[in-house]
Amino acid sequence: MAPDIWVLLAAIAFPFLAAGVTPGIYRLVGERVSYVGVAVAATSFGLILTQAGTHGTVSVSWIPSLDIVLRLRVDGLALLFSLLASGIGVLIFVYASGYMHDKPDLGRFYMALLAFMGSILGVAFAADLVVLFLFWELTSVCSFVLIGYHTDEAASRYSARMAMVITVGGGLCLLLGAVLISLGAGLAGQESFDLAQVLTNSETVAEELRANGLFVPSLVLVTVAAAAKSAQVPLSFWLPRAMVAPTPVSAFLHSATMVKVGVYALGRLRPLYHGPEWTLVVATLGVVTMLVGALLAVISRDIKELLAYSTASHLGLMVAAFGFQSHYGAEGGAFHLFNHALFKAGLFLVAGILAHQAGTRHVDELGGLWRELPVTAVVAVVASLSMAGLPPFAGFYSKEIMFEAAWHAGETSGGLAWLYPVTAVLASVFTVLYSLRFLWLFLGDRPDDLDPVTRAPASMAVPALVLGVGVAVVSVAPAYALDFVVEDAATAAAVESVDVHAGLPTELSPPVAMSGVTIALGLASFPFYDDIRRRLDTIYTLSHRVHPNVVYDNVLALAGRLSNGLDRTVHNGLIRTYVWWVLLSACSLTVAGYAVAVGGLPSLSGASTPLSILLVLGVAIVAAVAVTTTESHVTGVLTLGILGFMVAIFYILSSGADLALTQLVVETLLLLIFLLVLEKMPAFYSDTDWGRVARDGVLAAVVGATATLSVLYTARDESDGLTETAQYYIDHAVEGGGGTNVVNVILTDFRAFDTLGESIVIVIAALSVLVLLTMRDWGETG
Amino acid sequence: MTTVIMRTTARIVVPIVLVVAFSLFLQGHNLPGGGFIGGVLTVAAFALVYVAYNLDYLESGVLGREVEREASIGQHRSVAAYRRLFMLGLVVILLSAFAGVVFGQPVLSQSFVHLHLPLFGDIELASALVFDIGIFCVVVGGLLTVFSVVSAE
Repeated sequence: MAPDIWVLLAAIAFPFLAAGVTPGIYRLVGERVSYVGVAVAATSFGLILTQAGTHGTVSVSWIPSLDIVLRLRVDGLALLFSLLASGIGVLIFVYASGYMHDKPDLGRFYMALLAFMGSILGVAFAADLVVLFLFWELTSVCSFVLIGYHTDEAASRYSARMAMVITVGGGLCLLLGAVLISLGAGLAGQESFDLAQVLTNSETVAEELRANGLFVPSLVLVTVAAAAKSAQVPLSFWLPRAMVAPTPVSAFLHSATMVKVGVYALGRLRPLYHGPEWTLVVATLGVVTMLVGALLAVISRDIKELLAYSTASHLGLMVAAFGFQSHYGAEGGAFHLFNHALFKAGLFLVAGILAHQAGTRHVDELGGLWRELPVTAVVAVVASLSMAGLPPFAGFYSKEIMFEAAWHAGETSGGLAWLYPVTAVLASVFTVLYSLRFLWLFLGDRPDDLDPVTRAPASMAVPALVLGVGVAVVSVAPAYALDFVVEDAATAAAVESVDVHAGLPTELSPPVAMSGVTIALGLASFPFYDDIRRRLDTIYTLSHRVHPNVVYDNVLALAGRLSNGLDRTVHNGLIRTYVWWVLLSACSLTVAGYAVAVGGLPSLSGASTPLSILLVLGVAIVAAVAVTTTESHVTGVLTLGILGFMVAIFYILSSGADLALTQLVVETLLLLIFLLVLEKMPAFYSDTDWGRVARDGVLAAVVGATATLSVLYTARDESDGLTETAQYYIDHAVEGGGGTNVVNVILTDFRAFDTLGESIVIVIAALSVLVLLTMRDWGETG
Repeated sequence: MTTVIMRTTARIVVPIVLVVAFSLFLQGHNLPGGGFIGGVLTVAAFALVYVAYNLDYLESGVLGREVEREASIGQHRSVAAYRRLFMLGLVVILLSAFAGVVFGQPVLSQSFVHLHLPLFGDIELASALVFDIGIFCVVVGGLLTVFSVVSAE
């Protein structure tokens, strides 16, 4: 059954529309605006739910002249992702009503949160590369606004900018990759940006890409984009920084949805890139991130930072799973995407409750809280054991499938490929460690100096509980989740047929052994947690110089220094320097354009000039020379006037009546303006600086040469008669435009769009002058 | 610049310039002229007044109103009027651009009708004239804003 496009569009557009009116509603009803968010998220969730079971691609034309179509595709993966985003969205809005109580700027906060939800739904359903890119970048922008929620804190601004630079930079890689893919699709004879078609004919497109050497470049670009978005090593450092955002944002964007966009894209494109290169790049990236993320999570002291690194590690697990070639890969990736969203969002909500009620997020300052926060403790137990991958919790099933995929990769490729299962097990040992550490916030000893902790309000406890119950249900009866959406999602990401099994092991197989080793090592080493953490701390400090975060800071500082240097040279506050650089670069670009496009000098043959025109132009040249030698401003302005009027006469002689009129009128106006400012001009500037004269002379010569070249290249031999365009305008001016003045008909009718643009330019110029001159004192006085 | 010669000339020339500007604007569709040329010429007429007299002359001398001293030129009454003028112009342009959409035509399509009036004979009414009025307003409002703000410096 085909999905209904209007229902899908409504589900995507509704959050955006709501975002537009949110600030207004906030002004009316205050922080109760969060219920609007709840209602919108629930509506979108309901709308998408009506489409469950449908399959296929639907489209409406968007920009017909550019061949860009708003294509939406519904399949298992899209449904899984969009249901997670909107479903968790409902819980997050409920939670935020408690967590964000009495906080400022809630209008902006909820607006960005709603816009984010719309964008993520757009990403989920996009079946067009351009649309995908657009929504992809929109999620980054919303994340930027939300991370920078505390606009008055430097750390918050720094983190927001970092997240923006990394994820939007990654988005640009996606754009490049999309262009390469569309080239391949075009060569394979398909509509270029149609992702759905690319995926149905993935083999021919992949062949074309390979034949033209675009396969690996586009694969790498897409992977870099996904790595930036999904916090893969070495681009993972922005994610822990993003934890300065309020906890609802961390739970929603930076664990459950936005960071999964990269994983989601990899799952989407998996059928296209399926092959050994894919495994080499993506699976390696995934397992390395798994390990590094888990190690960093162990040494984290801040509970949100711990969860952030753990998120990076689990994203690595999903990326690695999608990277493996067997059908287990697609299954493990899709299933873990689902499980992780539930338990990690739940854990973040738990962390938010801890921070909100206990007033600290430091791991060592919290402990033994199960008596005071019993409900939260239950959620934490279920969710963190699921995160650890202990049976019979949900995380165990999906990790088991991932182990199977890793083992399978080692078995088929042999050699170094055995490192995949080994690294995966090692990373999982540390996962068990930090999961238990998180659990010990509730079970361990209560620090003496911890103040009494009160229970969380229902608006915060209930969403966490719902997620905890969700994890529990999937743990007890994984078949429900599989049947409902996960199996379909895996099918969308797989090339092979898919048959997901989840359940407790009944016999000893390699993956079961891997799980056993993982859990045994993890449990055995937990008593030595503090020792392990100290050792890792030492390594971390020693490797300080190569931390991606430090590299990022250095690169940014270098870029800043370069821009400042350039700024001092080009933008030194003297208007003649500005003019010099602007004109010089404009002329060089123009001449370079001619050199590339034409190559060779224009011919002068067939050019003839009547005596009258020669005379007029001669006077103009004399006037031009005279301007440079005048002593006073008045004579200078008047001589310049002569030059202008000569040009007008030249237009009359060449029968360009409208041009001549315009030139005359503008010349008159200029003369008047000069008269107005003349009194204010100093009579004497300084002695002639010959160096500057030479420099300006060179510029004048370059500008003159460029203008001459332009005229010669564009001028036509008159004996050829009129061009087709000119003839068309003349033929159609009276019958089509109703006017005998062809110039005016062109301006107001044939090319009215240009005129519209020009009038907007006039308005912008007027506004700029107004703002510049009337408001320039503002910065200095206030 | 405010010499007697200048003022006397301006008194005689400005009305003529304005009439010429208006006729250039009206005849634009069939003869040389149009919204832009008419607009610039109108601005030139105003500029002449400014050079010969001053910024407040239009208000005090022509309209006979009291001139209020504002804190900054941006709030000056005539500048505010110019600003409103170019905004109005932009609105007219956009309205005329999208008027065609109502009749199922693409954006910015123009049309015309011929009317036969008893005294004037054949009169052509073109929708392009509305567009041109918009251009005229934008040019006059925009350039005069720039001109009066700069000249107030």
